[in-house]
Amino acid sequence: MKTVMTIALRNLSRQKKRSFLLGGAIAFGIMIVTIINGFSGSFVENVSENFSQLLAGHIFIDGVEKSASGKDVSIIRDDAAVSALLLDAKLPVKYVNRRSSFNGTLIFEGKKVLQDVVGVDLGNEKFLKDRLVLQSGSFESLPKDRQGVILSADIARKLNVQIGDRMLVQLKTATGQQNVGEFTLEAMSVNPGLLGSLSAYANKDYVNELLNIAPNEYQQMGIILDSINQIDPAADRLYAAMKTKLNTFERKKADSGQGNPLAAMMKQSKTETWQGTKYRLYTLNDILAQVQQIVNALNIASLVILVVLFLIIMVGITNTFRMIMFERIKEIGTMRAVGMQKNEVRDLFLWEALFLAIGGALAGLVAASIIMGALSLINIGMNSPVFILLKNGHLTFKLIPWQVLANVAIIALLTLLAALFPARNAANLSPAAALGTTK
Amino acid sequence: MKGIRRVLFLASAIVLSGSFLWAADPDFHQILRTIDAMQDFGGLDYSAVYTIVTQKPGEKDSTTQARLFRRDEHNQFVLLIMLPEVQKGQGYLKIDENVWFYDPESRKFNHSTMKENISDSKAKNSDLSKRHLEDDYEIASTSEGTIGKFPVWVIELKAKTNEVSYPKTRLFVRKDETMVLKQEDYSVSDRLMRTTLMPKYTRVGDKLLPSMILINDELNKGEKSQLTMTEPSIARLPDKVFSKAFLEQVSQ
Repeated sequence: MKTVMTIALRNLSRQKKRSFLLGGAIAFGIMIVTIINGFSGSFVENVSENFSQLLAGHIFIDGVEKSASGKDVSIIRDDAAVSALLLDAKLPVKYVNRRSSFNGTLIFEGKKVLQDVVGVDLGNEKFLKDRLVLQSGSFESLPKDRQGVILSADIARKLNVQIGDRMLVQLKTATGQQNVGEFTLEAMSVNPGLLGSLSAYANKDYVNELLNIAPNEYQQMGIILDSINQIDPAADRLYAAMKTKLNTFERKKADSGQGNPLAAMMKQSKTETWQGTKYRLYTLNDILAQVQQIVNALNIASLVILVVLFLIIMVGITNTFRMIMFERIKEIGTMRAVGMQKNEVRDLFLWEALFLAIGGALAGLVAASIIMGALSLINIGMNSPVFILLKNGHLTFKLIPWQVLANVAIIALLTLLAALFPARNAANLSPAAALGTTK
Repeated sequence: MKGIRRVLFLASAIVLSGSFLWAADPDFHQILRTIDAMQDFGGLDYSAVYTIVTQKPGEKDSTTQARLFRRDEHNQFVLLIMLPEVQKGQGYLKIDENVWFYDPESRKFNHSTMKENISDSKAKNSDLSKRHLEDDYEIASTSEGTIGKFPVWVIELKAKTNEVSYPKTRLFVRKDETMVLKQEDYSVSDRLMRTTLMPKYTRVGDKLLPSMILINDELNKGEKSQLTMTEPSIARLPDKVFSKAFLEQVSQ
């Protein structure tokens, strides 16, 4: 066996150019697939982190009341009970924020834009200040002007508003009544791309006034944990505690197989009736359930790419090994004549193919690591439209070891399969016929 | 003696003129009830075609045509969009307090409200449904005024609950015949949001309905809609009209 392996290695080094090209093809395939896997590996993590900063929460609690006519009113009037449960549950809480928001129409000199406006208490919203990159104006001016608002530069451009301009906002109150308010543009944030409609921030006091709810009331509690990995266990603990003490909607989880869990929870309130406040608990993972589907799609796509690439490479490998067989036909005849068995000849070809596959795969992994490392060094910046995919402005890659091993195993298997037929043919040559062949 | 007679005469004149003035102030609650009743078909069905022309500055006028079906006795309402072509087959269905919007493209019913605007116009579904002024509002104040050549009562209403679209509304009601000629709707922050003019009325059975409605958006200056009602009918409608199946069927 050792001799066969040594000869296989020597054969590879005999035709360096050919081995390099074949190994290069394998390396290219594994490099592409590894980069895609690396990207999809960090995709969920980066998107989740960025969303958690924008939405200011890993776990969210909404309060819902039923109005006299049976309509849903989103409001938390008194959160003493929820806060006490949160304290008792001893969750790894970094901070808790309380927000109100509405979807309204901003109107300025004949121009209109539909926009989500989030009422925040900037004094407590450190994460928001860290995440939101301002193009002009400052965070400090918002608390000074009760009717101040921060808009994304893109929305400001659509409305043609400048810092200091006053605009109208038309909205519905918490109970669905028509209301009109006025905002002054205090700052413009860098265009957040896909999340443009999520990026208007105003003082919670004024947003509450527009929603016609009391200053101490709000609509959503956002809980930021120490780590994004603690979301599910923490949410389970808090939900279990809430269920015993408060009127709580049944929690639909992302993995419950009931479609979008958040949509399913929203539907619940339409069909149920109750007295007082009923609480809804959901997590960032529930909101981003569809992101996981994107990751799954990316992983499937990378696997398909891997297989397609290797089907092409396999044809090359099969042809090359057939050529090698004819080139070495006298050598095979000699080896067979001096006592080498059929299976040893076959193994010789297979070992050669395996070494080629492993060498190529290793080279591909090294190349992928270099490219991923280089890409992650580029600072794309947090003001990029694709910021949601980045971590602190950088692309990041996360590889799952079993996925890398599986890719290498698939490549090794396919290469062996490609070399199997020429190897069998070589093994089945009779020594006399092989020695008598003239090229 | 003559002096006493003069005093008595003056006193009677004051009392009579006072009672005359008292009689001149109508029962405003009754006016609200009359307005509500004027557009409530009760046990009868009502259908009509509404053409809504909407103007927005810098945009081409848009026309929406919809057929309305109402069975007020059972609080049922169907509005089927016929124009523009791209929205043909869309419709609203109200049964009791539930309102659905049907989109033939997705073939799905989604929960909606009567407060929704019809297509891209300034008119809401509630503008075409029966009114509940007496139930929804209380009278805050009354005064007199004129709209064109007509003397009107100006009745300011304040919503009884916080679920009515507009918490404050002012009705300009003709004095000689109970007809709302103008309506102003205000936001929670007391800002005028829209003005509705009803210059033409038509009799449908024993009911009086505005056949032309002009709605001005007071926030978006220059944006307005004109609703024209045609083909009014109080003929009995098949029960199936007020069902989801009807909207699905007619859109095919």
